[in-house]
Amino acid sequence: MSEQETTQSLISTDVTAGAATERTVDADPVVRSLGLNVYYGEEPALNDVDMEIPRRQVTAIIGPSGCGKSTFLRCINRMNDLVEAATIEGELRFEGADIYGDEVDPVALRRKIGMVFQHPNPFPKSIYDNVAYGLRVQGDTKNLDERVERALKRAALWKEVEGQLDKSALDLSGGQQQRLCIARAIAVDPEVILMDEPASALDPIATSKIEDLIEELAEDYTVVIVTHNMQQAARISDYTAVFLTGGELVEFDDTQTIFENPAHERVEDYITGKFG
Amino acid sequence: MAAETDSVSEFAKDRAVWLRQLKGSLFEVLLIVATLVGVLALLVLFVLIGIDALGPSAADPAWYLLYFATLVTPVSAYTLYVRHDPAVAHVNARAFAVFCGGLALALIAYAVPAALNPYDVAIHAVFAAAPPLVVVAYGRLYGETHLTGPAVPVSVAVGLVCSFVLLGPLNAFTESLPDWVAYFAITTLPVAGILGVLGNRIWTDRGLTTAAFVVAAGLVTVGVSQSRGVDPSLWLVLVSVFLAPVALLVVETFERHPQGRAGLLGPVVLFGGILLGAWIEGQFGITGLDAWLRPTLVLESWSGYRPEQAGIYPQLLGSIMIVSLMTLMAFPVGVGAAVYLEEYAPATGWLGRLASVLDVNISNLAGVPSVVYGLLGLALFRQGLGLTPGILIAAATTLALLILPIMIVSAQEALRSVPDEYRQGSYGMGASRWQTIRNIVLPEAVPGILTGTILAIGRAIGETAPLVMIALATTRFDPPSGLFSGATALPLQIFAAKGNNIPEYRTGVVAAASIVLLALLLLMNATAILIRNRYQND
Repeated sequence: MSEQETTQSLISTDVTAGAATERTVDADPVVRSLGLNVYYGEEPALNDVDMEIPRRQVTAIIGPSGCGKSTFLRCINRMNDLVEAATIEGELRFEGADIYGDEVDPVALRRKIGMVFQHPNPFPKSIYDNVAYGLRVQGDTKNLDERVERALKRAALWKEVEGQLDKSALDLSGGQQQRLCIARAIAVDPEVILMDEPASALDPIATSKIEDLIEELAEDYTVVIVTHNMQQAARISDYTAVFLTGGELVEFDDTQTIFENPAHERVEDYITGKFG
Repeated sequence: MAAETDSVSEFAKDRAVWLRQLKGSLFEVLLIVATLVGVLALLVLFVLIGIDALGPSAADPAWYLLYFATLVTPVSAYTLYVRHDPAVAHVNARAFAVFCGGLALALIAYAVPAALNPYDVAIHAVFAAAPPLVVVAYGRLYGETHLTGPAVPVSVAVGLVCSFVLLGPLNAFTESLPDWVAYFAITTLPVAGILGVLGNRIWTDRGLTTAAFVVAAGLVTVGVSQSRGVDPSLWLVLVSVFLAPVALLVVETFERHPQGRAGLLGPVVLFGGILLGAWIEGQFGITGLDAWLRPTLVLESWSGYRPEQAGIYPQLLGSIMIVSLMTLMAFPVGVGAAVYLEEYAPATGWLGRLASVLDVNISNLAGVPSVVYGLLGLALFRQGLGLTPGILIAAATTLALLILPIMIVSAQEALRSVPDEYRQGSYGMGASRWQTIRNIVLPEAVPGILTGTILAIGRAIGETAPLVMIALATTRFDPPSGLFSGATALPLQIFAAKGNNIPEYRTGVVAAASIVLLALLLLMNATAILIRNRYQND
């Protein structure tokens, strides 16, 4: 019991130190899911998920392994299309438009909803070409130099790579590579940035840089981040969704409520480490 | 009781350990023997062929001493010197690659058009190359990016159709021109373009100067040759394809890697040693090798009666032309099929089932005996198209069908080795499937695809059985003069010469021609290794 209390107090201090700034829920969510079900073959991965992702906030998705949190993330920009066995039922809307509607082009959708992956995956090209890639594939090459610089500055990488943009991106450190991937994602100026455990492959210092960056990005973008690290979710997010086994969204509320006063016992057990 | 069992078990353990170690070392020895069997067999083969082809027993001891002094000693000393400095070794490797590659390319670029008629080659080349260049230039100038990509292959096809239609009328006009103009168009201009791009990459904005130098050097060569009454064609090609890249390498090394400039001497030491030795040998009348492998072998046409006059020029050129044409046909089809199977084919549905059936069958086709492919070529060309099957295009098509499965499988391997994270990253940024393949997947897979291709070509060069099946002539006295002209290939001639009544053919000529074939193969493999290393370093 006392152990649980210390954990809780630790988290709450983190929350107050971090992203405890008061932000009201947006009446007009960017992404809204209603009764979303996903199956991989016969295997259910998401079970009836209802969720509204608020605009220009950091929304963290936490939960044990295999609870469907990455699946949910990958539904939002239709990366699950690349997994052929996946079937999606229910409603998922981006700015009111049905993401899985027949008239939606997934390629165009992904230009609005960028993604950063678990392992830094810069292309084996120069730093410049990595950041310019998204603009180039969209055929939008006006003021390329300027926009590459702006994206790198926004991703807090400019100072480290200034003057060596033609160096291979693979020569950067892991943390730099991940910030490059973030720069790459924001270069095309998306509305939503999805992050799938973006810091889980990085050391603590690189992680803290990424976390600072994520909080800053929320001023301009809607950030949805999947993480295994509950302290991280508590530190950087405004809202937290807890997925538990079976692909079920158990609770979704502002981060402080989730970590200090969750409505569900299962969520409390998970957060305090009794389960998961 | 306990003590007794302990001592017994200890004794047993010692024996077991000893036995285990013995078994282990026996196994190791067996593995070494297994490794050596292949290498030793190959070594014996090379020695036997080498003795037959070079006749080393005829040479005077003074000859050996001479080449030991001019060739073996300098090359060994130079190798030792190069090895201690990585910068020099790097430059040395590049020098050998440019020197040997340039020389081989120059000889091929001269000989093949000479056999076909340089103006035919030049007209087709110009018509195939000019439209895509115009398209690309237009795209660059007006910032058009959506349609230039698809327009390039279409413009090449249109250009080729035009050139086939216009070949007759244009030939009437070009007949009055000297040959060197055609060679200028097919060698000097493309080399100027490529070196110009390289020059731009090395120095930025010195590309035009570099290209202008190449063109000027070509024109000077033509002027000098004509003033001396020599046909300028061969010299023009040598200067453009061989000397110009070597010169660029020398200039670049002196400006960019001056600490490694000693590496440039590698080819000079090797080839200079051979030339110096040959010169002294001639000057002092030293009895040299009784060699069947000599320059006339690859420069002369075949003779069936006088082994000392037998040359394999038509056969060698036939092999090179068959294999080049085969590559042109098999490469796009093979890579295309591999890209479809790896990147596009769905995993489920009837199309997915079809793709997996195709996948398994292609792997099986890679093992079909080549004789059977010969049968296929025969059926295709004689029964299907009603042509005489023993022609260049039939041989090239048959071999292309033969290597196609090998190429598809190796290209699939190369595509599969591209990490999926790159694809995900590209899709995640709003790239379409084609953009992902074009910009991310294919560039990463190029080394693997090229290595597989060149190994497949290496296999095709040595193929004899399918060519026998499609009734390719074993002996011809001229190289092929067109797509539908009769042709022959080096392995066929080697096989035929083995059955000649005159014993010198069966020993000397066969051995020497085999060495030429092996050299061709080694050249291909060396290229494969170079390309792979280059991409792996990048």
